Amino acid sequence: MQIESALLIGVLFGCATYLILQNSFVKILFGFVVLTNAANLLVLTMSGNPGGKYAPIVGDAAGPLVDPLPQALILTAIVIGFGVTAYLVLLLYRIFLDQNTTNAAELYEDQDTSEHT
Amino acid sequence: MNWTILPILLPLLTALLALFWGKPSRARRVVVACSAGVQLVLALALVTRAYHGETFLLNLGNWTAPFGIVVVIDLLAAVMIALCTFVALVAVLFGYVELSSRIEHPLRLPLTQLLVTGINLAFCTGDLFNLFVAFEIMLIASYALLTLEADDWDVKQAFPYLAINLMGSTLFLCAAGLAYTLFGTLNFADIALRSAEMADDPRVLALGLLLMVVFGIKAGVFPLYYWLPNSYPTLPIPLAAIYSGMLTKVGVYVLLRVFGTVLPHSLDLVHQLLAWLAGATMIFGVLGAISRNFIRGILSYHILSQIGFMVLAIGLFTPLSFAACIFYIIHHIIVKSSLFLIGGVGACLNRTDNLDRMGNLWRHAPWLGVLFLCQALSLAGLPPLSGFWGKYAIIVVGLEKGAYVLVGACIVASILTLFSMLKIWNSAFWNSDEEREVCLWDLRWVRMSWVVAIMVVVSLGIGLGAELIFRVAQEAATRALDQEGYARIVLGYVGKGATPAP
Repeated sequence: MQIESALLIGVLFGCATYLILQNSFVKILFGFVVLTNAANLLVLTMSGNPGGKYAPIVGDAAGPLVDPLPQALILTAIVIGFGVTAYLVLLLYRIFLDQNTTNAAELYEDQDTSEHT
Repeated sequence: MNWTILPILLPLLTALLALFWGKPSRARRVVVACSAGVQLVLALALVTRAYHGETFLLNLGNWTAPFGIVVVIDLLAAVMIALCTFVALVAVLFGYVELSSRIEHPLRLPLTQLLVTGINLAFCTGDLFNLFVAFEIMLIASYALLTLEADDWDVKQAFPYLAINLMGSTLFLCAAGLAYTLFGTLNFADIALRSAEMADDPRVLALGLLLMVVFGIKAGVFPLYYWLPNSYPTLPIPLAAIYSGMLTKVGVYVLLRVFGTVLPHSLDLVHQLLAWLAGATMIFGVLGAISRNFIRGILSYHILSQIGFMVLAIGLFTPLSFAACIFYIIHHIIVKSSLFLIGGVGACLNRTDNLDRMGNLWRHAPWLGVLFLCQALSLAGLPPLSGFWGKYAIIVVGLEKGAYVLVGACIVASILTLFSMLKIWNSAFWNSDEEREVCLWDLRWVRMSWVVAIMVVVSLGIGLGAELIFRVAQEAATRALDQEGYARIVLGYVGKGATPAP
């Protein structure tokens, strides 16, 4: 299971990086969505193999259990990622309204920042 | 009531109160300013008590560390909180005299207080995941402030800032996950104890490198700084003062905390890499500053070059260099924020901060010139101003360690800093071209200068009372580097298997 999830996370990170480096705003946006999910998956995998791990409080069905802490962490991370993604959507939409383009290369093409006031 | 929570709770409550108050009014302003003042007094009280050996600890929900969430304020954190609240107070006051409450954006004050909440939480958190949460609170508030009053151009500059910080946050989350697998805990003190036994493990080195990249992005260290110098100049002046003073320094503080208190001290490769990247940051930052032709742009690049000095002090990794780094942070936050504010006063008088169209300030507003000169020379590092002592200590450690190239980089960066400060001085203050009008009838500038003067006086105090401040910095550095002492305070015991103290 470890190897498979490691491969999956690697592929997701690769896709996300590829998408973020594209010019289209929509691709960049999806890149970031995939990226946050890849990171969440990584943390989930970090709880490791449940074999040989037991909960400190034992009920009737006391089998090996997955470490629940990473799941709690991911819950927080998902909420934060959702908020930031929502902000990113609005920011990109605002840039589209202002500049009338959804192409990042076009947007930053003739930028001279040395004298802007 | 445990007072440890107040530096986080007060700004949060103020933010909520201001948010629900709604319409900007004079009464709302007074309440926020009073709250900022109370926060500063509280932070100073924390510093005094922490200096006399106390460490403030709060186990949230009474779950003891390492099982529960813990808030720790030691001397280093207390000093940083005091600096943050001071800069926030001055910036809030500056915002009041700059804009009347009729045209103030209703969300500016709540978001500023929320930003302070995030920064303070980052200073006093005791575990890695809460640090991530604190960074996110701080960053989300900063994204919102960056685009709150933005025009088309500003919004365009906000996108790279958002993109690179989003990337940094994701990497931070991965690093937290990695730390959890390696050590089975996220608590700083617990990691410090457990990682001491596995210092040679290459995975710890990988974690160190990953954290260096993450916090390097936040601090603006060499190849990762592009987002900073174009986005900061788009901010309104009082906000630019808070951003330039605090946000990147949170990154430096976390580097200090993570490499000093949390990870094992034997990660030489990471320390070396930090030192060399710091050297590159200094030089490239200052060259960028020379290339800019407006005050906010020049100052934004100087943030980077000064970050280089602080990170170099961390990279040299001796107790003295840590003390120098803390002293440098104290000096830099105040000097940099006040320079941004002085630039704001100049821009208010000349109606622009483009150096090609500024001038005549020395003739009409000599006291503003005096304020600028104090801070600019302090930034360049002339004795007896505060910048000199920080640079002196760093260079002494550099020479002791035989890092002659890096010491050379320090000196070159300082001279070029002086050069770019003189560029501002020659154009804005000494230029006597009659066409460059000075709007003295706009009386806001007098009160704005008085607000800046508070900061300049504090900064001069740091320079002249350097011995006292350096003693505080040394004490803070010693305690930040004392991993066992930190663990004993937070966990109540040292080492596995020992019985916890009651």
